[in-house]
Amino acid sequence: MRTLVGVFSGLIVLTILTVVTSRIDLGILNVPLALTIAIGKASLVVLFFMALKWDNRVNGIVLLLGVLFVSIFLIFTLFDTAFRGDLSNVDDTTIMDMEREMTGGDAAADHSEDGSAAAPADH
Amino acid sequence: MSVATATTEIPGKQVTYLNHEKSIKSWLLTLDHKRIGLLYMSTIVVVFLAAGILALLVRIELMSPGRTIVDAQTYNQFFSLHGILMVFLFIVPSVPAILGNFIMPIQLGAIDVAFPRLNLASYYIYMVGGVLVVAAMLLGQIDTGWTFYTPYSSRLGAPIIFMTLAIFIAGFSSILTGINFIVTIHKMRAPGLTWNRLPLFVWSIYATSIVQVLATPVIGITMLLLLLEKTLGIGIFDPALGGDPILFQHFFWFYSHPAVYIMILPAFGIISDLMGTFSRHEVMGYKFVALSSVAIAFLGFLVWGHHMFVSGQSAVSSIVFSLITYLIGIPTGVKVINWVGTMYKGSVSLKTPMLYALSFLFLFSIGGFTGVMLGVLGVDIHLHDTYFVVAHFHYVMMGGTVVALIGGLHYWWPKITGKMYNETAGRIACALIFIGFNVTFFTQFVLGTKGMPRRYYDYQPQYADLHALSTYGSWILAAGLFLVLFTFIHSLMRGAAAPSNPWGGASLEWTHTSSPPSPHNFDEQPIVTHGPYDYHHYYHGDGQSAEAELAPPSKA
Amino acid sequence: MSTASAHHPKLQHHFVSMDQQFDASKLGMWLFLITEILLFSGMFVAYTVYRVWHPEVFEALSGALDWRLGGVNTLVLLASSFTVAASIHHIQNDNRKGLVRNVILTIIFAGVFMFIKYLEYSGKFSHGVFPGEAYAPFGDHYGHYADVPYAPQFFSIYFVMTGIHGVHVLVGMGIFAWLAFRGARGDFSSEYYTPVELSGLYWHLVDIIWIFLFPLLYLI
Repeated sequence: MRTLVGVFSGLIVLTILTVVTSRIDLGILNVPLALTIAIGKASLVVLFFMALKWDNRVNGIVLLLGVLFVSIFLIFTLFDTAFRGDLSNVDDTTIMDMEREMTGGDAAADHSEDGSAAAPADH
Repeated sequence: MSVATATTEIPGKQVTYLNHEKSIKSWLLTLDHKRIGLLYMSTIVVVFLAAGILALLVRIELMSPGRTIVDAQTYNQFFSLHGILMVFLFIVPSVPAILGNFIMPIQLGAIDVAFPRLNLASYYIYMVGGVLVVAAMLLGQIDTGWTFYTPYSSRLGAPIIFMTLAIFIAGFSSILTGINFIVTIHKMRAPGLTWNRLPLFVWSIYATSIVQVLATPVIGITMLLLLLEKTLGIGIFDPALGGDPILFQHFFWFYSHPAVYIMILPAFGIISDLMGTFSRHEVMGYKFVALSSVAIAFLGFLVWGHHMFVSGQSAVSSIVFSLITYLIGIPTGVKVINWVGTMYKGSVSLKTPMLYALSFLFLFSIGGFTGVMLGVLGVDIHLHDTYFVVAHFHYVMMGGTVVALIGGLHYWWPKITGKMYNETAGRIACALIFIGFNVTFFTQFVLGTKGMPRRYYDYQPQYADLHALSTYGSWILAAGLFLVLFTFIHSLMRGAAAPSNPWGGASLEWTHTSSPPSPHNFDEQPIVTHGPYDYHHYYHGDGQSAEAELAPPSKA
Repeated sequence: MSTASAHHPKLQHHFVSMDQQFDASKLGMWLFLITEILLFSGMFVAYTVYRVWHPEVFEALSGALDWRLGGVNTLVLLASSFTVAASIHHIQNDNRKGLVRNVILTIIFAGVFMFIKYLEYSGKFSHGVFPGEAYAPFGDHYGHYADVPYAPQFFSIYFVMTGIHGVHVLVGMGIFAWLAFRGARGDFSSEYYTPVELSGLYWHLVDIIWIFLFPLLYLI
């Protein structure tokens, strides 16, 4: 029971930490830090609340298998989406852009500075 | 297995799982893995018949250019429903749900699977999925193919909602079966049945179940997102709303490529058991064959992008996926070599199941090699979306899985029903299927290389002869399949009583149970002392299996 | 879980011992949990893909979500995870009252979580922030997001992720109500508490999903 209380306190501290750090702009570190804290919290829950630390090893392998395949799903999809159009034979304009141009809407012009101009270029 | 006593048979008096309870309720609400296997079998056969008839209609429509029997819209619906039924309701559940349910727990020396109630629930969840597919069919207008590519699918009418829900729900059935089987194999093995003594069928079911558990949830979320794309327009997949249709293809194939291993891996297991028993020779490279199943299951997750070489995905991912696709050839080749090696210096007996196993070896090898060809980037650009792909797919799925399933059904038929079937009819049916299949689908390899695109309703006249030939082949194939059905029905009505071990098998379902098994499989807990392919224990020692049909190999 | 429990009334006929039955159920549950993880993985992949394409949109729009409400919900859910772990601890020591008390606390925490979620959702709906094509924000806080391209994608992902998560919370509440009922009836003991253990595992997973959703959607 004492372990459980200790883990619970740790989780609260980490939650406060992630909120506080997100209020401060750390530039490129924002996302990795938030994810690291989240992974730390998840590990605490898995190891102590779910008692995997003391459990049959098979259950741990099952969990790692799940995490492994989520990473595979994510990384292999990013192989495509992060490099989309690397053959330079794909038109950068999306259907959304074309529609926006066709309607010639003022709406599109309004924010061309902040978002729409930069966004499709990432493709 | 040390005490090689099979249950003695007293014909007519024996209490079996088939006759110990007789009410309809005792069948529909059974928790017995054997009866659930039969429930699946009856449903899956109906699905196969329906989807098979659709295939025949598609082939007849394609017999000549232009309209032959139906209009283009109906044709599109026919081939879509053929694909959806065959993939999601027939071939994914086929081997695991029928033979996996029936045979696997007995091969483990277990009384039942780990979660019998969950097992029954899986069946009814599968039925709900099936009913929704039928509802979507009756509402019409599903002409997406079995792949449901966006944005076309997300802009179709209401029936697509039923269809996505159906796939979502049928997926649950698959997941629950997978979980059940993994736990069963981990926790329910008989004393002495170590991992190295598991029959290879069990290994393959194990690998399949892992894939089912890991991949199926993703088709669930994909179908859910498709449903939301259709109903709310959430803009994840629809390019007109800023979404990315290629992302849908990633989601879809993250499940559907591993799913083809869900379809073929159990077939590998059947073939391993058949090769061993009918060669009377220990399966060569047991550990390699067992672990290659696991290797295929793992690698199967890393290659889904080879379905998308011409989709507009990045060249980086095309190259990565293409390279890993080649790797799949290694564990698959390990299996084929070991099967051939098993027959070497074995005492090969060309019974019907073995004929199916040999057909499998031939057809699957063609399917596998053409698969490697399609994994080559440059070749795929030319062959993509042609009949070459259709032929490859059917060589693996029909020539592989379906042929293995039918072979397995012949093999375990005496165990399941307690009846023998007519050997001659079985062999003729196998020959018809083999010939009909090759005429139908080898022709399509040729059509594909000549540039005939898949899914087309109409085509140039120069393809007409080959299309007609393929259609004639489909009739031979259908005749073979109906002969199988007829043979089995005839066996049920007139078949001779089967001995407990008609083939001289050495795994628990042959050595320690009667045919058909008693309600709790075993009279006493079996204790395993040797491997599943140690035939010499039975060949010389025990009278029962020595008198079993071990006639010298006859010519076929 | 001693061997003396071999003839426990909850032992099903196809298992040899209570231990085997418990281990089997637990392995089954862990397998089910990874199917849940992979179900959510689809949403996380969609999130990552769109974030990599449009980082500035996602960064800006995380400001549209109230980190205070999200933060409170995180703490509430962590507390509920704690009470679940405590309830298992109690039943392992045959303390049935402790079990029931903690299970009911869990239901209350889950209810608070859903109530806050309801406040968040209704706040957005009342400003025209809907998932999908109905997206048409107006008003002080949301109006200026109206024409940001790919903002609908962000909110769609937000609604679908938290929506599916919310469904899981509701299911969990149902399960815990059933556990409270069975616990009060005296079904569980240190010999047999499999349903409590499995429901606990499920609930912790729901918590873990939220541990990731909170920073991804609200903070960064």
